[in-house]
Amino acid sequence: MLVVENLYAGYGTSKVLTGASLEVGQGRVVALIGANGAGKTTTMRAISGMLKPDKGRVLLDGKPVQGQDASRIARLGLAHAPEGRKVFGPLSTEDNLLLGAYSRLPLFFGFRSRSAPDLEKVYDLFPLLKERRLQSAGTLSGGEQQMLAIGRALMANPKIMLLDEPSMGLAPVIVQEVFATIRRLKTSGITLLLVEQFAKSALEVADYAYVMERGRVVAEGTPAELHKDKRVLAAYLG
Amino acid sequence: MNLLIIAQMAVSGAMMGLVYALIAYGFQLTFSTSKSINFGQGELVMVSAFFSLTLLNWGVPYWLMVPGGLLFGVVLGLAVERAGVRLALEQKSEGWILLTIIIGLLFFSAAENIWGRDDRPFPTPISSDAMRFLGVSITPLEISVAIGVFTVMGAIELFKRKTLLGKAFEAVSADRDAAELMGISATRTVMLSYGLSGMVAAMAGILVSPITTVGPTMASALILKAFSVAVVAGLDSGFGVVVVGIFLGALESLTSFYLGSGWREAPGLILLILALAVRPNGVFGKASIRKV
Ligand SMILES: Nc1ncnc2c1ncn2[C@@H]1O[C@H](COP(=O)(O)OP(=O)(O)OP(=O)(O)O)[C@@H](O)[C@H]1O
Ligand SMILES: [Mg+2]
Repeated sequence: MLVVENLYAGYGTSKVLTGASLEVGQGRVVALIGANGAGKTTTMRAISGMLKPDKGRVLLDGKPVQGQDASRIARLGLAHAPEGRKVFGPLSTEDNLLLGAYSRLPLFFGFRSRSAPDLEKVYDLFPLLKERRLQSAGTLSGGEQQMLAIGRALMANPKIMLLDEPSMGLAPVIVQEVFATIRRLKTSGITLLLVEQFAKSALEVADYAYVMERGRVVAEGTPAELHKDKRVLAAYLG
Repeated sequence: MNLLIIAQMAVSGAMMGLVYALIAYGFQLTFSTSKSINFGQGELVMVSAFFSLTLLNWGVPYWLMVPGGLLFGVVLGLAVERAGVRLALEQKSEGWILLTIIIGLLFFSAAENIWGRDDRPFPTPISSDAMRFLGVSITPLEISVAIGVFTVMGAIELFKRKTLLGKAFEAVSADRDAAELMGISATRTVMLSYGLSGMVAAMAGILVSPITTVGPTMASALILKAFSVAVVAGLDSGFGVVVVGIFLGALESLTSFYLGSGWREAPGLILLILALAVRPNGVFGKASIRKV
């Protein structure tokens, strides 16, 4: 589904990724873990087109997409829920969700009725969002904004979703909720690349995981395999 | 009696103020999507007005001239974006400031060469015979300015709120990167905003020309005041520009009545200075909203 080969990317003169490679198969939940500043967010940005990679390849369904505009890659079925959520603050919760489905909906009229079934699905997953549907997204709590960011990405009916630190800055109870949501999405068959600080919890839901250090993948394996790796265990799962 | 004069001055000034508001609204449209504005917007107003006049001279009926002129404004707006703004924004430079000024100058000399330097009357089927309401006289022509301004602004606001494309426009204004992640092309949205801004400029030209006549310099005074209005109202409140526009228009005509027409430009300039000194974000801008 998603293959990343030997990716190099950075910001101006600061090189962050120095040959990152990973793979996410159809219907799999793959975790990407690593210390602060390891380059996890940068990897996600380079995949989704927010950042143009200097070198390497990103294959979506076998087709190279590296270097294309983020909007183009999004229309090909990749939904990136970015670090810091980035909801559209002045717009309502529901408008945020509708925009998630932007590339599949008519631009002028009839977009509401066309999106109604998907909207219902997201509201089933996050009943709170339905209560807040007319509230502007900027006034939602951090947890609600994270749910909105996930819901917005789901609205695209994506082939694959990139989820960057959904637990960032949330209270422990809410973090539990976020992971519960991820588990439900997994049961429903989502293909997901997940970046998380809470490496333990991430490995509980993931089928496979990559460990990143200084811009490259230094270890990989199934959660069981990584738990056996002493170095990984000490550094990230201790 | 005195009160009546004040009311009279305020009303006719307000009509002119609505034109400032409309042009300022054009600044807001592009600023919200791209943090850039067309410093040659006045020339768009003027060239569109000349073009519309030419349509009339060719025998195009008035009702058909209006959409024709607006379409021309859209094309000009798109041209400015393509030639003066896009590359600069891609390179994250401020080059658009100089480029839009230069494109404006080009439009100016093109207009002088094509249509000449003289001011020309702009015929209109709308009567300028005064009607009286409560002692204040107002002409159908002045009313048409108000109707035109509110129609265009209302239509664009409806578009932004009620269509998905309009919501995408708002999304790019709110967070360009996140909008791209939804599959919204920020580049196209910026184009759209320049197209709309050009249309708004053309509408301003068509509305104001029957009152002021058409000439290469017709927009220089207009644009300065539109700029004052935009700065005072902030670059993100459509409601704000209308209020400030009406206020400035009324203030201007009162000033020129009491102090002499030489002082006509003063209120706009003083307002601009005050605004920049006191409230760089605009009276209706985000800064004041956040405080509430
Ligand atoms: N916009 C930017 N401009 C310059 N350098 C940046 C930028 N964003 C990130 N970096 C640098 O790139 C490196 C990797 O950052 P990145 O955000 O990818 O790390 P991360 O693994 O996601 O970390 P965290 O767990 O803290 O989110 C860091 O050293 C950071 O300082
Ligand atoms: Mg990060």
